[in-house]
Amino acid sequence: MASTQTNTDLNAAPTSAAAGSLLVSLVPLAQDAFETMLANLALAFPGETVLVATPDAAPQHSSDSPLRILPYTITTVSASPWILTATDYLNAYRLAQDNHATACVLLGAEAQSLHPEAIRALAKSAFQYDLTLAHYDLGPREGLVNSAILYPVTRALFSTRPRFPLAIDLGLSLRMAGRLAAAAQRFTSTGQNDAFLWPLSEAASANYTIAEISIGSRTLPQPGAPDLNALLAQITASLFADVDAKAAFWQRARGTQPAQPVTQTTPIAEPSPDIAAMLDAFRLAYTNLHEIWSLVLPPNSLLGLKKLSLMQPENFRMPDNLWARIVYDFILAYRLRTINRGHLLGALTPLYLAWTASHLNLISSGTAPEKHIQDLAVAFETDKPYLVSRWRWPDRFNP
Amino acid sequence: MWQQVELALSQSAHRVLVKLASFLPGLVALLLAVIILTAIGAGLAALLRRTLTAARFDERLARNASATISDWSPSHSPTALIARIAFWTCVLIGFFIGISAFDAAYPGESQISIVVIPYLTHSIGAVLLLIAGTLIARFLERSVLIGAVNAKLQYARILSLGIKWLVLVLTAAMVLDHLQIGGAVVELAFGILFGGIVLTLALAVGLGSRDIVSRSLERSAGSTFDPIPGDPDYKVSTPSETLRHF
Repeated sequence: MASTQTNTDLNAAPTSAAAGSLLVSLVPLAQDAFETMLANLALAFPGETVLVATPDAAPQHSSDSPLRILPYTITTVSASPWILTATDYLNAYRLAQDNHATACVLLGAEAQSLHPEAIRALAKSAFQYDLTLAHYDLGPREGLVNSAILYPVTRALFSTRPRFPLAIDLGLSLRMAGRLAAAAQRFTSTGQNDAFLWPLSEAASANYTIAEISIGSRTLPQPGAPDLNALLAQITASLFADVDAKAAFWQRARGTQPAQPVTQTTPIAEPSPDIAAMLDAFRLAYTNLHEIWSLVLPPNSLLGLKKLSLMQPENFRMPDNLWARIVYDFILAYRLRTINRGHLLGALTPLYLAWTASHLNLISSGTAPEKHIQDLAVAFETDKPYLVSRWRWPDRFNP
Repeated sequence: MWQQVELALSQSAHRVLVKLASFLPGLVALLLAVIILTAIGAGLAALLRRTLTAARFDERLARNASATISDWSPSHSPTALIARIAFWTCVLIGFFIGISAFDAAYPGESQISIVVIPYLTHSIGAVLLLIAGTLIARFLERSVLIGAVNAKLQYARILSLGIKWLVLVLTAAMVLDHLQIGGAVVELAFGILFGGIVLTLALAVGLGSRDIVSRSLERSAGSTFDPIPGDPDYKVSTPSETLRHF
């Protein structure tokens, strides 16, 4: 089957940078944060007319201000204000369409911490590419779910490069915003206003152009109630459902991404993280959940987990291909409803903690965190044929 | 005297054989009704499956409707779901016709039909109760097990087994009560067993978490100031507390 280029390389000719109006869509912010945001927008777009959609009450602006405030009403309070939801995408597209904007920039919570230059770069890229995602500078112990699951899966299956598939700062062309709004409509029509969308897979499956902009450091909002089990289940359920919905695309998509340049940093001398709690959770889960895991994972993976359960904490290391196959097997089990989906995703949490412990062990031994993540993504790409085979012939490989 | 014994035996054997002879046609009618309707159901299911597959019913439904129906259908195929519904509906109708035929085979004053027919319907209800109770017990067992493991409770397995057996004991008691077996004995035994399981679970949870509870009580009733270095309760902030999964 011929290879399909799923997204245009950054060096390729982007869509024509036609001059048009820009809509910046904001989520609810505190009053002082909102005023800071407006000041940053004024700095980012000096002398340019920019539409700013906000649910907050705007302070009185002078007539010389280039910012044109578009108030919009939030009908229901989001249960996940720390991330962009279906309602946000739908609102942004409607406002862009009503006000004849040709590009949108969606900024998530704590957007006042964004540097004006980063906002401008997002906006500029939104006129050139259909989808622009932000690249955040995170520490080695931040964004672990993204590093473990979201980035490797979307990179391997959709052949996309951006590091943060669930970024909360996006630049969208009008057609990309329309596509996301159509996807959001399917959720909002059934009352799922807080459903997550995956812009990267939408853009890849539509063969739209994709870009990534480094925006430096930013205050990333955290979930209000940081229950790892519930949040991990919520995010992975959304991702797995999206993978299931786009199976026809990613089974055809081919090609691997060129290696990202890894920033060589001197390992910071700091005490090794306390992974004992995570290892205890994994060992407890291995003892009690082995029967459930055996319904989902093949014997090879179970053997790998058995070896892990016997490892000493200082030598604890989960092979990248083992983790890749575990995630793929869970995606498949999600699709086949091998067990109740809530139970399935609950059983994934201890395995994720085992990966996290292994990752922390590795970086405390001197390996650059980003190098490990890139190696992990390569392992996911290498094992993609495994997922494709099991997806097409689930009975043949039934554990 | 032996002639009288022989007469009594032959008369009773004759009565039993007559009763059996009157019972058999109803039973045969029941079996025939079930077999014929099952065959009709199988044929109808095959016809429906062919027709709906030819009409691309699954694809049309996936395009127009939400994914819910496909998600819950066997093998994600609404066609298979409809075919199975048609088949089992015919089987069920066969059972009803058979039971009516079984009832009609008896004269109105017969004691057997008055007793057997209601008991048959109660039996079906009891079987359904048993199936539902078993499914609920397995679901709850797994839910509690996974939740307890993720909460890092060492007694997760005991807790999940306790919940499972609670539900199974309750189901068994309801089934026996539905079948009107045992009466007060079953109710008493259930109460003792159920109470015993609850007490065991309470002891396991209470003894296992007494340290947690005592620390929680100390915190709520004790000092309002955070511990400082030098305080026995002071805890150095470890790097694991700076982990951010999202």
